[in-house]
Amino acid sequence: MAHDDYKEMLPALALSALDAEDALALHEHLSECNECRRELADWENTAASLALSASPAEPSPHVRTRIMNAVRSDKGARTQEASRVVPFPKNPRAVWTSFGQVGAIAAAVLFLVLIVWIFVLWQQNRALRRDMDSLMSEFRSVQEDARRSQEFLAILSSPGAKVAPLRGNGPGAGANAQLVYDSSGYAMLRANDLPPTPAGKEYQLWFIVGNNPPIPGGTFTPDDIGRAELTDRVPARALNSAVFAVTLEPTGGSRAPTSAVYLRSTL
Amino acid sequence: MSSSLRSELPHHHDVELLKAVAAKNEAALGQLYDRYRLILFSVLMRILNNREEAEDVLQEVFLQVWRRAADFDANRGKPFTWLVTLARSRGIDRLRSLASRERVVTAGANEASDEVSDAATDAIRAEQRGVVNDALAQLPEEQKRPLMLAYFDGLTQTEIAYKLGAPLGTVKTRMRSGMMKLRELLSARGQYFE
Repeated sequence: MAHDDYKEMLPALALSALDAEDALALHEHLSECNECRRELADWENTAASLALSASPAEPSPHVRTRIMNAVRSDKGARTQEASRVVPFPKNPRAVWTSFGQVGAIAAAVLFLVLIVWIFVLWQQNRALRRDMDSLMSEFRSVQEDARRSQEFLAILSSPGAKVAPLRGNGPGAGANAQLVYDSSGYAMLRANDLPPTPAGKEYQLWFIVGNNPPIPGGTFTPDDIGRAELTDRVPARALNSAVFAVTLEPTGGSRAPTSAVYLRSTL
Repeated sequence: MSSSLRSELPHHHDVELLKAVAAKNEAALGQLYDRYRLILFSVLMRILNNREEAEDVLQEVFLQVWRRAADFDANRGKPFTWLVTLARSRGIDRLRSLASRERVVTAGANEASDEVSDAATDAIRAEQRGVVNDALAQLPEEQKRPLMLAYFDGLTQTEIAYKLGAPLGTVKTRMRSGMMKLRELLSARGQYFE
């Protein structure tokens, strides 16, 4: 809401006629707007003048007496209240040596020990949490590796399974990989020591049959240490005789290779 | 400010009285009561329409003044506005705490008006009432009614809209227009009241 919107609400606030939500918003604005506070005081004067439209009425004379009596008893009660306040002992040495003071010191020491203890526990708790998070992350990673290894072995042990080793080539000279696939074409590629991919790039698998244009496969990105895995399907015409290659392509892959070959198999 | 609208005792006198009350001067509270009893009781009678309730609230108001006079800040408002606002607020609180919004007794404030005299000590004179009533008479009824319902019945804009069967936006506009017109008319007559 803008400043002018709040200004428009001021007359209604002076009449206490704003609905709760509007009044709350306006009070928040007033806490930081001097101009509106000044203007509200003016509107309050206008609102107060409405009091003069009430027909004049005189209260009974005893009201004044009641008020003055109440004021006197209020004054008396306050005086009595003040007299009931326990005075502070005048001799400070007596206080210092009192049992209460010793107790207070002991309580203060205990409090400090408690604070230190809580701090130590808090730090231990934080360290344990960090360790636990790290272990959980490691556990998940191991679990994922195990699952992929099982899958790899499952393909490898299936009837008619084939394994094609891929060697590093060109910019990927230090890398190596294995492509395992079953008779249905279901395949898994596991690569190691691949160079990291630049931003906007991914590796892509290709299936090359004879002199035909390479058939595009899936894309993948290696982890921090150059490891990568990809599950894919080998096209039927590439099942019996094909070369498998990996190139670096724009994210999402290409329809034809656009870079040097990083990994390739032999027939 | 026109002389007809000035009270017999000047604004700063009320400020001094409130300072004395804050310092627990009973005589000062007595003087303040003498100056404001009529206007505050009139407002309470208009709100509550019941003498017993209005007198009870009037006592509460002056006890509150006794205890909270130190809260009054002359830089932020006038004694008249502070006291009237306090009384009106306590009156509306009492009205809401009563079991029904129906007025408790039908005997009205008008009954009492014959008994009222313009005492020299009264903070408000008949001329000042006349100025406000003249100003209100110049407001269209559609603007005046929401102001009176808000001030004396303690209704919110939504409640007023419901009561009058008018759209909320219309009520808001009329209320604002009415307040602007009232301020303009009173300023032209040398308001504000001290």
